[in-house]
Amino acid sequence: MIHNYLFLSVILFCLGIVGVISRRNVFTVFMSIELMLNAANLAFIAFSRVHESMDGHVLAMMVMAVAAAEAALALAVVILLHKHKGKLDTNVFSLLKG
Amino acid sequence: MLVNLLFYGFAVLAVLGAAGLIFFRHPMNGAMSFVVTLVCLAGLYALLSAKLIFALQLIVYAGAIMSLIVFIIMFLNIQPEDLPREETKIPYILGGLVLVAPVGLLLGKIVKTMPNFSVDLVGNNFGGVKPVGLVLFQEWLVPFEIVSILLLVSLVGAVVLAGKRGTGK
Repeated sequence: MIHNYLFLSVILFCLGIVGVISRRNVFTVFMSIELMLNAANLAFIAFSRVHESMDGHVLAMMVMAVAAAEAALALAVVILLHKHKGKLDTNVFSLLKG
Repeated sequence: MLVNLLFYGFAVLAVLGAAGLIFFRHPMNGAMSFVVTLVCLAGLYALLSAKLIFALQLIVYAGAIMSLIVFIIMFLNIQPEDLPREETKIPYILGGLVLVAPVGLLLGKIVKTMPNFSVDLVGNNFGGVKPVGLVLFQEWLVPFEIVSILLLVSLVGAVVLAGKRGTGK
């Protein structure tokens, strides 16, 4: 039943939001964002199955490409910040406060 | 019947993996439990007869992206004392669940208003490489090219960001 897939997608998305707002480890926050992208992908594929059209599959592939690009950039930034601050705490990374 | 059983098995494992990602203190444990979630999602894609996305999820997500993340976690050589001290982790997670619950309930209500379809496995090459490729290169050609530019930009950005050496300290 399609409802079960969509409920699972909603649950995973909410767990991703909880991970982003309640954890301070920068890797956990990053992987929670990936979790939210995956929940959106599951919804895309489920709706694509309902309408029996392939557009959702193409969008899921685009989301995967965006996630790969995001992973490369975010990990580069994490390495840079770790080199400068020696910490993995998101509370320490407050350079934009001016 | 078997399909239902598989769905519930994959769903429970995926939610457990996501909960582990949120709860584990060390990011390596979190990454390993997130891999469980990704593999279970690949199984769910297979149940939705998305064959190409099933393979891509396993190869690109669970394979490439997660091995990149695990590589970086190992590369930084994180000791337990380097991790942020999160004494308030459990209350924050519970508070976050309380905050997010209305959003989840609203989304669940929206899902309930939709008509329910049964999703059996469909044949006639639905979700295979050829049909998805045809849709990708006929109707989604411009977004595809934009994604390729995005990948190029992120490649250059990653090299510029991480390749700095000998600047100051």
